[in-house]
Amino acid sequence: MSGEEGQRRREEILAALADAVDQMDEEAAVRHAHAALEAGIDAYDAITQGCSRGMMVVSGKYEKGIYFVPEILLCADAMYAAIDVLRPHLKARGAGGRTPVIIGVIEGDIHDIGKNIVKLMLDSAGYPMHDLGNDVAVSAFVDKARELGEGIIAVSTLMSTTMPGMGRLVEALKQAGLRDSFKVMVGGGPVSAAFAEKIGADAHGANAMDAIRIANAWQEVRT
Amino acid sequence: MTTDMTPKERIGAFLTGKPIDHVPCVPLILNHCARVLGVTVKEYATDGEVMGRANVAAFRRYGQDLITIFADTSILAEAMGTELHYPDDDVPRVKTPVVNSMEDAEKLEVPDARTAGRLCVYLEAVRHCVREVGDEVFVSVCYPSPFSTAAGLRGTAMLARDLIKRPDLANLLLDKSAQLVEDFAEAVAEAGGIPALVDPVATGSILSRKAFEEFALPGNRRCLARIASLKMPPILHICGRISHTIDLMAASGAAVLSVDQIDLLEAKAKVGDKVCLMGNVRPTETLLEGTPDDVRAEAAKCLADCKDSPGGFILASGCEVPLETPPENIFALIETARSNGGS
Repeated sequence: MSGEEGQRRREEILAALADAVDQMDEEAAVRHAHAALEAGIDAYDAITQGCSRGMMVVSGKYEKGIYFVPEILLCADAMYAAIDVLRPHLKARGAGGRTPVIIGVIEGDIHDIGKNIVKLMLDSAGYPMHDLGNDVAVSAFVDKARELGEGIIAVSTLMSTTMPGMGRLVEALKQAGLRDSFKVMVGGGPVSAAFAEKIGADAHGANAMDAIRIANAWQEVRT
Repeated sequence: MTTDMTPKERIGAFLTGKPIDHVPCVPLILNHCARVLGVTVKEYATDGEVMGRANVAAFRRYGQDLITIFADTSILAEAMGTELHYPDDDVPRVKTPVVNSMEDAEKLEVPDARTAGRLCVYLEAVRHCVREVGDEVFVSVCYPSPFSTAAGLRGTAMLARDLIKRPDLANLLLDKSAQLVEDFAEAVAEAGGIPALVDPVATGSILSRKAFEEFALPGNRRCLARIASLKMPPILHICGRISHTIDLMAASGAAVLSVDQIDLLEAKAKVGDKVCLMGNVRPTETLLEGTPDDVRAEAAKCLADCKDSPGGFILASGCEVPLETPPENIFALIETARSNGGS
């Protein structure tokens, strides 16, 4: 294959991979992930220029009200199926990447669809994700924060009854001496910007795209 | 007029198009009743007599225009076999959905609406309220529509996937759920209550217009028609963002539409001539976190925007009044309605 033809083939595969994610086609996503590896495309490039590019299209459609939660979940299934194929072939990379994100649903709440979408978007935007799941104790966030040293904490809830846990988290970070090393964003149905300010969080993410914008803004300041 | 109407007279007159003294006010005082009686949410959600007493206590304190018995949105799914987790002092929630495959869905049986799970708890609560305060106020039971019930049977994320990948599975669950919703409507009516449907999972925050129309609307139509056939006012509440589905909600057969995150002027313009609108003081920002003055200001704006809606208007909270809402904020909401003339 000539260099030009190889380049064209590479572009085709990456576009097909992105398209499979956007079209919620898990089988095609797996097929194109294998094709990428066979064509000698670096696994990292396949994830960022194939899967993530597809997911960016998905985010755009979500933001415009073309896709809703069912579509997002299936696009995500397709993306993760492709990533599962690619992951074993990732070469170790040096530091200098994006800041790690600790994400979870605050204790008392198990509604994690929104959290999972935010996780997915941040993941596809290149942030190393540490997902603590749902019904996460404040102490578990703090333990993870201590382990990582610095980064972003994204915490959500769908219920007004569990919102106070977010305030306790900010407090606990202060007491652990970690508050200055972490940016905290809060989100979920009943959570407002005013609430974020009241509890001393750094930002309120209204939706997944908002969460990416906030994280990117912090990332820029940091680098 | 010198004497105020009782809540029962007011709602009765309102629903039949007769003159009323004030705009009706129905904050969705649900689990907050546990706080009024001084019991835990778990005690409230699992004991019919406690639930009844808590609702009576809340009515005695606040005097709202409708009792709205409710604990959680998974009650029908639980009656069909989904396992719930009961925190000590918070709302029960789905722990293990009962349906993991088409086979499970086929095996699923529609249980007796009078005895299964905690359905009897709700019915006992209705009877208690009717006995204690039934001459002063109507007693409604708010329980989930077929779509929200199917979400509890399957898990919300799995049901969402099914809508695209396994619509046959989704439709089977919706059909069985609808059967139980209808049966329970009958049981509630028999106990002296008004069955009211809530469909929180069918919110526009989750579903597209097309998915709502295909999967959530038919079940609501079927069950609201059943409620109307019981000579009860068909009431439907859907929370979250609903701008792109409100016209479909209004085409569900609901006479009263309780709305959450939408501008009331927009709601009035879109469906005000088709349904009575109910809403929508913000639960968290205003009722939970605001001052009584904040509540009064927002309630006054709701009235200014929507009191003249052709189909009628009921002042309410957009969604459930949060558990720890300061009582003075609920009083402020009701006072705003009471100081406002009727029609």
